[in-house]
Amino acid sequence: MTAVVRRRALNLRRHGWSIGVWLLLAILIGWYVLLIPRFGSFQIASIIKNSLPLVYLAIGQAVIVITGGIDLGAGAMLVLTNSTSATLMQDQPFLVTILIGFGIILGAAALNGFVGWIINVSRVPDIVVTLATSFIYSGLALMILPGPGGGTSAGFRILFTGSDDGTGTSFGFSLGMLLVPVVIAAFFMRRSRTGLSLYATGSDLNAAYLSGVDIRRAKVIGYAFGGAMAGLAGLATVAITGSGDPRFSIGANATLNSVAAIVLGGVALTGGIGSVVGAVAAAIIVFFLSPILSAMGIDPNTAQVVQGSLIVVVMMIAGLLALRRRRAK
Amino acid sequence: MTDALLETKAVAKSYGSVVALRSVDLTVQPGEIHALLGANGAGKSTLVKILSGVIAPDSGTISVNGRSVTMRRPPEALKAGLATVYQDPALVPDLTIAQNLTLTAIDEDAVRSRLTAMGLGRLDFDAQIRDLPLEVLRLLDLARALAHDPQLLLLDEITAALPSDQAEHVFGIMQEWKEKGRSVLFITHRLAEVLSLCDQATILRDGRTVAQVEPRQSGERGLVTPMLGEVAAELEAATSRVISQEAPINLATADLYSGGKVNGISFELRAGEILGIAALEGQGQDRLFELLSGDRRPDRGEVIVNGSPLRARSPYDAIRRGVVLVPSDRVLALLPKRSVRENLAIPLYNRVQRWLGLVGDEDTRTNKAIERLSIDTRAHRQVRRLSGGNQQKVVIGRWLANGFRTLLCFDPTRGIDIHTKRQIYDLLKEVADTGASVLVYTSELPEIPLLCDRVLVIYNGRIVHEQDAATATEEVLLSAAHGLEESA
Repeated sequence: MTAVVRRRALNLRRHGWSIGVWLLLAILIGWYVLLIPRFGSFQIASIIKNSLPLVYLAIGQAVIVITGGIDLGAGAMLVLTNSTSATLMQDQPFLVTILIGFGIILGAAALNGFVGWIINVSRVPDIVVTLATSFIYSGLALMILPGPGGGTSAGFRILFTGSDDGTGTSFGFSLGMLLVPVVIAAFFMRRSRTGLSLYATGSDLNAAYLSGVDIRRAKVIGYAFGGAMAGLAGLATVAITGSGDPRFSIGANATLNSVAAIVLGGVALTGGIGSVVGAVAAAIIVFFLSPILSAMGIDPNTAQVVQGSLIVVVMMIAGLLALRRRRAK
Repeated sequence: MTDALLETKAVAKSYGSVVALRSVDLTVQPGEIHALLGANGAGKSTLVKILSGVIAPDSGTISVNGRSVTMRRPPEALKAGLATVYQDPALVPDLTIAQNLTLTAIDEDAVRSRLTAMGLGRLDFDAQIRDLPLEVLRLLDLARALAHDPQLLLLDEITAALPSDQAEHVFGIMQEWKEKGRSVLFITHRLAEVLSLCDQATILRDGRTVAQVEPRQSGERGLVTPMLGEVAAELEAATSRVISQEAPINLATADLYSGGKVNGISFELRAGEILGIAALEGQGQDRLFELLSGDRRPDRGEVIVNGSPLRARSPYDAIRRGVVLVPSDRVLALLPKRSVRENLAIPLYNRVQRWLGLVGDEDTRTNKAIERLSIDTRAHRQVRRLSGGNQQKVVIGRWLANGFRTLLCFDPTRGIDIHTKRQIYDLLKEVADTGASVLVYTSELPEIPLLCDRVLVIYNGRIVHEQDAATATEEVLLSAAHGLEESA
């Protein structure tokens, strides 16, 4: 009886941050509904599908950071896969674009897994190696697709957006594409031994090693998983915009947003702590801030200030909570 | 003929130019509890790392049940039948107990039944490791090791943080393992445990096996003598200094408690006095120095500086009150890539009011310090290029340049050659002669009579012995440091 109560309290504390972030998202959505004159399935569809790239990126970044790394190349990988897929998929039938999509995801996973391997053997810090790869990925994207262009099949666009021109009011497909990767990633991280080994590696390298975890393998798997998610983000971008865009700034922004999202979502940059589920809610929030602020009539430039301030305030709350917990002990 | 359960021959390991193990021979027979003993730095922990597959030896052979084995990763050691319970439990802090067990593919029920036998049956497996006290983690780690059903159980200082009733559980398990015809390699600083439990003891000194004895036959003396080796030839008569009992008390503590590591320490340190602290590793001396240097606040009790309590929020507050620390890790205390002169001047930068006149002041003060230290180098060189001994002089010298009333030195001569050691002794004595107080923890017991006026021995966070340093023999200190005086 008391054990059950205690366990509930324990679970609430452990998942408290994720729950809080989802609540914040719910509040923001509620506020948005009150702000705008009409809120219907078009708005829902728009929010879900347009947040997909950042959600995917945040899932990948969360997995990498939980493993004790950080991927500054995530956004550039999005740009690279976006450009590559738009180039390859142009004027291809649906089935071929699907196959290309799978190929892109596998390729992105292999490429980023290789980055993890380089970090292992070179012992150069993650942040340095992935900063370098971000330039390499961006350069490759420009070599493949020198300017905005390319395209994809109508079916491929429907898969992510629910309509063949990227607009519309049906959101079933988008919701499915949101939920499936989240559920897979969450189960992989929390229920599988490999997922636990990623947590272990990020939490305490030495204890993980002594527990028999192959810490090098964990790093490669973390980065490969992150690469696959960045690849998926690139594919979602093709589906949403109907084309590829190799510009460097898109990738740089996306990387910073993914880091902001996971931090807001309760993933500790020191590794081992946090969850994919929390990061997903935070990614939607980070994406969602700009429509809200524009609905409030706030200048887009100010929106960035608000976004930054929000992150600082939330992290300060997190810090205070952690301090209180430590004092209570 | 039966093979030994574990046999190592001429195992050696170096880290760069530092030799950790020179040649270790260790033979553990089936069905015995075997102690591995040695003073601090003798190579015990390196040997444990090798036997648990954390590091590979440079040379030498290891065989289990007569078959030669190589272990490059911890799972390979487990496969060979060796399971280790480390001093710091190898459990991942951010995962739950259940997740930690899943990680190592161990059956929860087997661990649960072991824990029940140890009186921990009610442990919640959904609890996070981070939230559990150290003694529970030790036993959990032990239960996990037992679940591997190893041929040889390596216990590294397992009893160090355990209350005596839980230590009894561990002793029971060691007996059980022995009766099963398996073996235990037991690493401990507590000689009383060795005398009562162990069938054999292998003693290491300076990375070498120097003796294998039967503790029940040899007694305490037979264990301690090989650990010490020949009495250092260069031991000279200690020059006795007279400390006036009227001298003011620069530093005192009143019934200091901190986190189970410091358990009621009180002492007084007078101006001009050099007080030595002797203790084995992990007896609370680290925590004591943290408390004294303002790095941490005590749970109970007070640090008293020049007659009034020190309520430090950071070392800065202690430094302002004239209590300064020379930490064990010299590199940590220095800016390795900056010059000697800059390193000496760091504390001066703290004095905002000096900023205007900094240049002249800094120069004269650092010049004086360099002169006094006889640092054998031109002072514009990078500190990291100096030898360990000269680096240590810079750490001490920076406080000379700054002024202080109490100098705390944590193992100031570790890894320093004998000549420089002498210079450091002289320097500390000189400092004391000017009316400052010096508190020295040293892991090298022969230093105590050479350097100190008085010595305190700490065991399990308490002062268990106090005497004049001039008459303090290594044997007496070592016995006290092993807690023998207390238990006898």
